[in-house]
Amino acid sequence: MPDPHQIVAAPAAARPGGGIPGSSRAPRRVPLGVSFGRGVRPWLLLAPALIVLALLLVWPLIRVGQLSLQDYGLEQIVSGKDNYIGFENYTELLSDPLLWRTVLPNTVVFALVCVVGTVALGTLVALLLNLLGPAWKWICSTAVMIAWAVPALTGTYVWVWLFDPFDGLMSKVFAGLGLIDPATSNWFTDRVGFYSIAALNVIHQGFPFVAITIMAGLTTIPRELHEAAEIDGAGAGKRFWSITVPMLRPVFAVVTILSTIWDFKVFTQIYLMPGGSGGNDDVLNLGVWSYLESFAQGSYGKGSAIAVLLTVILLLITGVYLRTLFKEREL
Amino acid sequence: MSRAIRRTPAAKVGITVAVIALLIFALFPAYWMVSTALDGKAASRGSQLLPQSLTLKNFSTVINDGGFGHYLRNSLLVAVITVVLSAMVALLASVAVARFRFRFRTSVVVMILIVQMVPLEALVIPLFLQMRQYHALNSLLALSVVYLAFSLPFGIWMMRGFVAAVPKEIEEAAYVDGAGWWRMFFSVLLPLVAPGLVATSVFSFITAWNEFIFALTFMSDDSKYTATVGLQKFFGQNTAEWGPIMAASTLLSLPVVIFFTVVQRRLAQGLTSGAVKG
Repeated sequence: MPDPHQIVAAPAAARPGGGIPGSSRAPRRVPLGVSFGRGVRPWLLLAPALIVLALLLVWPLIRVGQLSLQDYGLEQIVSGKDNYIGFENYTELLSDPLLWRTVLPNTVVFALVCVVGTVALGTLVALLLNLLGPAWKWICSTAVMIAWAVPALTGTYVWVWLFDPFDGLMSKVFAGLGLIDPATSNWFTDRVGFYSIAALNVIHQGFPFVAITIMAGLTTIPRELHEAAEIDGAGAGKRFWSITVPMLRPVFAVVTILSTIWDFKVFTQIYLMPGGSGGNDDVLNLGVWSYLESFAQGSYGKGSAIAVLLTVILLLITGVYLRTLFKEREL
Repeated sequence: MSRAIRRTPAAKVGITVAVIALLIFALFPAYWMVSTALDGKAASRGSQLLPQSLTLKNFSTVINDGGFGHYLRNSLLVAVITVVLSAMVALLASVAVARFRFRFRTSVVVMILIVQMVPLEALVIPLFLQMRQYHALNSLLALSVVYLAFSLPFGIWMMRGFVAAVPKEIEEAAYVDGAGWWRMFFSVLLPLVAPGLVATSVFSFITAWNEFIFALTFMSDDSKYTATVGLQKFFGQNTAEWGPIMAASTLLSLPVVIFFTVVQRRLAQGLTSGAVKG
């Protein structure tokens, strides 16, 4: 891409309607202000954004790293003084069986299930939408948009209500089918039950992004490719794997990695479920554990160490994301 | 439509079933939320698919007795401040990265992408301590400024696509007509990217309106609760008043659902041009 100011002269000369007498003078010179601001202007334009991001995202990130090396509690909050203890929080964290037996498996397995579910469902929905006529396509994509738009917080409350062990619809239906005993069963106290409901919630909210993005990608595939393949005798499944998937590889990569990032740092959807905000250690994930360690237990140092661990995992995934983006095109 | 004609009856049935399944899956939670909110006997609803009696009682309970109207006003105020600030800041920054070539440009873009991935859980601890030190907890303005930071990376990323889509020749025509850069920016570029700005603003509105962790952590004064935090008031120690909770949830979701579906095409367009194809 050429410098924006270098090309000022060329296309302007060819501009239609340049019939004003003497207008041929115009392209000769770049206006004074334009050439003056050349080096400084982009930074001037970026300054507000960079200042906000530096103060509210980058500095806190450095600070959370510092906090993770401290024994930081109520005393330090009041005095405002640092209290460094080296890597003690990390050694404590990494030797904690809760991390290895509960929190890490919860976070990783949950993210995997949600990513696979979201991408698979989103792809199927995109393929379905692509088959429909304009009217039904509009109706279905609007429905998908509504599922996307419902806030995570209220969506979570609805799923909790649906699975409410006393009066919830699902509990009544399952009890009616004789599959559960309504008097004794509570899905939320069981780790698998709890996370199954959370996964349903997260997939329900996440599949629309995948569906809409892949649908946009599908429109870029020339129809002739599919028609040629069909004439050659390829079935729908064969065409999907041999044409759609390779053509949309970059789109799949982006939605998969973005979903992975989002599903690793799920907080609200877990925190707001019964037992999710500290009532049940079995259902903690990294984000909730970090929050509770800090704000419920008052050990901001250990909470920060957990937060740093989560951030490092996410940055590694982000690294993969950026490499994928760079491979596809120039940024 | 040659493809439609070739479809066998079995395929048609399959597609119909799939469409019905999709519509039910996508809309049922929203339906259940609204219908419970309208149900006079929400607590004993059980597996009744239709509300047993239609009433607005749950809505008046949350607004009059629960003070939810006040929380909604707080949320609105925070969201509007966030939208105004982030629209201005994101637009300027996106013009810089979409229209200028300068040293470290790629580094800036990469940094913007990276900070977008930082988990809020990692930021809430240091920001809480910082805000506490500056006595900025319980301040709606401070909360808006934090939300500004969260909505900026995505806003810049999305606006970048819209700015890049404006043909350079139009800008150059303005220069030829004697306009300086700022004149060109306000009279040419700004009107052309206005639709993108609307889409981006909707996104930052939703970010601020939906946010929960920071509002929960920063706001301890009941009168400063935003709607997401205020909603928790309707949960008892061991019980949940599902009628009022669903009514409040409906009030909270409605603006988002309306905004989002109204600008859906534009947003999807922005997502693909800014974030996917870019």
